[in-house]
Amino acid sequence: MSSWPAETKYISKNTTRIDAPAKLTGQAHYASDIQADGWLYGMILRSKWPAAKILSVNLDKARQVPGIKAAITVKDFPQTIRFYGEEIAAVAGTSKQACLDALRAIEVQAEPRNDFVVNEDDARKENAPQVWDGRPNVSPGRSREQGTVDQAFTECAAVIEGSYSTAVQIHHPMETHGNTVSWTDDGVTAWASTQGISAVRDGMAGALKLDHSQVRVITEFMGGGFGAKQAAGIEGVLAARLSREAKAPVRLMLTRFDNSLAVGNRPSSFQKIKIGALADGTLHAFEMNAYGTPGINGGANIPAPYIYRIPNTRVNQSTVLVNAGPSCAFRAPDHPPASFGMESAMDDLAVKLGIDPLEFRLKNDSNEIRQREYKLGAEKFGWKEKYQKPGSSPGPVKTGIGCAGAAWPAGGASRRTQGEAQINPDGSVEFRLGVQDIGTGTKTVIAVVAAEMLGLKPEQITVKTGDTNYPPGPTSGGSTTCASISPTVYDICANALQQLQTQSGLADARGDNWFAACKKLGVTPLVVHGQWQQGLSSSPAYGVQFAEVDVDTETGLVTVKKVVAVHDCGLIVDKLTTESQINGGVIMGMGYALYEERVMDDLSGVVLNPNFETYKLAGIADVPEIEIVLINMPERGVIGIGEPATVPTAAAIGNAVANAIGARVGSLPITPAKILAALGKVPPVAKS
Amino acid sequence: MKAFEYATALSTDSACELVAGHGAYLAGGNDLLGLLKDYLVPGPDILVNIKSLPGLNKIEPGAKHWTLGALVTVGQIENSPEVKAAFPGLHEAASEIASQQIRNVATVGGNLAQHSRCWYFRHRDTVCLKKNGDLCYARNGENRYHSLFTGNDCISPVVSSLAVIFTALDATAAVLRDGRETRMSMAELYQTAWKTTVAHNSLNPGDLILRVEIPLARSRSAYLQASDKHAFDWALVSCAAAAEVADGKLKSPRVALGGISPVPHQVQAANDFLAGKTLDDATASRAADMILAGATPLEHNGYKVPMAHALIRRALLKLKA
Repeated sequence: MSSWPAETKYISKNTTRIDAPAKLTGQAHYASDIQADGWLYGMILRSKWPAAKILSVNLDKARQVPGIKAAITVKDFPQTIRFYGEEIAAVAGTSKQACLDALRAIEVQAEPRNDFVVNEDDARKENAPQVWDGRPNVSPGRSREQGTVDQAFTECAAVIEGSYSTAVQIHHPMETHGNTVSWTDDGVTAWASTQGISAVRDGMAGALKLDHSQVRVITEFMGGGFGAKQAAGIEGVLAARLSREAKAPVRLMLTRFDNSLAVGNRPSSFQKIKIGALADGTLHAFEMNAYGTPGINGGANIPAPYIYRIPNTRVNQSTVLVNAGPSCAFRAPDHPPASFGMESAMDDLAVKLGIDPLEFRLKNDSNEIRQREYKLGAEKFGWKEKYQKPGSSPGPVKTGIGCAGAAWPAGGASRRTQGEAQINPDGSVEFRLGVQDIGTGTKTVIAVVAAEMLGLKPEQITVKTGDTNYPPGPTSGGSTTCASISPTVYDICANALQQLQTQSGLADARGDNWFAACKKLGVTPLVVHGQWQQGLSSSPAYGVQFAEVDVDTETGLVTVKKVVAVHDCGLIVDKLTTESQINGGVIMGMGYALYEERVMDDLSGVVLNPNFETYKLAGIADVPEIEIVLINMPERGVIGIGEPATVPTAAAIGNAVANAIGARVGSLPITPAKILAALGKVPPVAKS
Repeated sequence: MKAFEYATALSTDSACELVAGHGAYLAGGNDLLGLLKDYLVPGPDILVNIKSLPGLNKIEPGAKHWTLGALVTVGQIENSPEVKAAFPGLHEAASEIASQQIRNVATVGGNLAQHSRCWYFRHRDTVCLKKNGDLCYARNGENRYHSLFTGNDCISPVVSSLAVIFTALDATAAVLRDGRETRMSMAELYQTAWKTTVAHNSLNPGDLILRVEIPLARSRSAYLQASDKHAFDWALVSCAAAAEVADGKLKSPRVALGGISPVPHQVQAANDFLAGKTLDDATASRAADMILAGATPLEHNGYKVPMAHALIRRALLKLKA
């Protein structure tokens, strides 16, 4: 069985991203930078109604706008519109302004409908407008019962009941969704901002009725996906169709407005939790009734009671459909809301029991790795010294601390991952993998593993990724990329060394012998293949985080002062890119805790905050000191870190806020308005 | 956006002539371009670049008052040590506006004249009262960012941070109207918005703000705002206070708030009450009560009452230092 080297020069050390200079100097070309010869802008016309029947669409006037080269409709008519922002038509033209003018020139004949519903509570009511004909808005989800729950609650020394809710979070990667697509007689080439070049190729080929071999997808650099860019997407297929009609490449990048409506989201959750513990602090009974909305489609179930095992448990969940854009995978799907609800309830129960919340977790969380992480983190954080009874910090600006745990059980690795290396007689070596670097440092990981195994330096490794002409790689979802490619590169290197040693006659072709061995190849480069091997990766990952906050009890402003993030991901391949994932996870989790929320308007059915002015994202001034503590466990092999890093942040911050002010804000995002309300300072609505 | 002509004006008279009821002035452009791109206002036939108008980009100290040209950028104010010394509250207000990049180009005139940020007004697919529609969506809808006071059916609040501190400093705007220079107090500059749903200030089409004059009557001033985030975010509520302090007693005190009314909110009775007082918690709190009396919270904006109360007290107490 394969195993990672015990002594390493690059693995688990700090290697700067190999593409950092290209990114910093603007040489890196993202999907939105691609300028194929004769390219056109593409844009999408979206529904301005949350519910409507589109009877017909006339594109004639749009086609007459100077500069417009193509105009198409998305579907046949009549088209049923189920959410504000649903795609109706698309145009391609020589300038942005031409496209904007053309969108306004499209004539849409529609029957708008007033029977729509955009919020969960209204959609659950009897006689609520139905999002889909013949399908109820509410569908039961994962429900289960074990033990004797009602009896068990009577045996508890303390029981709390709480309501915890999380808002719909919109996908806003730095680079919006989109592609440049060129459709010629030879086939389709798509420069895609995607997490899965193979998935985009297959999806596009299917939608366009082409052979897989006729579609090539290229993603050299892309600006983030977080789960929302795993398929060709409506915008990708539209770009291809526009390209065919215009006979020119079409760059169709969504606007920030577009991204706010239709690319997917993290569903909301409304969790009613009842939880009880025995006198010694052992969790004994748990009940949750929860629902959430994904929009018009998707599921809103969450794991409960999340990372805890409670002998008597009853969970009832349902998904509520509303007239809003659909959900999709979002960095650790289902986990941040599950963590927020459960970990909030844990702290509320600890307060009632009079137990330190950290002690309460150590007592009830049987996972050995998290136990280690809590103890290590508590020491770094200074938990014992900092912990005060809820609300007991003096003055109007109150300090509080909180913690929460995570698990990311999904993922593992894609066992079908393949790759190749071309070793040239001059000693230069190029690795080619049909994986994409979504900003996590995948290229650097490949270079680090290859350098380690071949005895070279990372900068001596040329890495080529993001092209479906290379051997197939995984979609970057579920935090599986690193665990998929690292064993694959290991295998390529093992095969390369074996062949090189055979061909050169050198017993060890690594390191100092590398160039001499390569020289013996003569004039023909060596191309070796490799694939994912068992034993070099595993799952799951855990992790715990501690947060310290200041809460201004007069203005409601929450300032996160410090987060200590303790994480494990098996063998750490590159420490810098690992830490980078955790920094990003904490910042995203903080945005989820304090700022992010899709706001729908009940009356008009529109998304009210389709921009960064009112869809608030954490900025650098909001970001706390983040101290990362990594536990390196080479014996577990490589495990992904992208998702677990964002799971417990909101829960830890929420608990720190509750500890600071002595009251629970059970609803994310924790805004100044909600802080002041929790403190009982908000006057009632004035009678008009 | 709608196609338009573009011209650069070299004198205020020619600027007014070029705009002539069917154009718009372009200075920093931050607010204007957003309005045009989303077709929120009737598109102008001509954009008149006023950045080259002579003499309007200076901060000029004087014996009795200071003059800020309408083209002075927010960044110029923020970075002026003289402003910081003479009007600390003005420095604080400028520093809180938007982002560094926006402050570098945003002008005094543009900040004062900026349109409503109500998310129903700014939405391309809702037609609210401010866009001559027949309904205020916010009143029974998502009104967390809206006013506690209004004199009409629109509840979108004034968002100009400079208007709030200028009100506290009792500054005057010089406006070119119909070829003549008119002087307007800050109250006058906004009063039309109090009564008129479609108005966000009292300027007529073609009016051009030339300067703002700040009397040297209040050496102490302070500006505070509360936002959801720590930077680059609008004020949920903002508050400015200014006064002279002699022998520990307030002279000519003025307090103004933004984010809670279509106009900079001020209560003369509170200013009168504060005059001659020595500042302490109780006095500041009493003034805050007077300033917020009559607030009518809606479903989601009641938090602004305690928030405003805190900001008033804090801004006043800052005057002591």
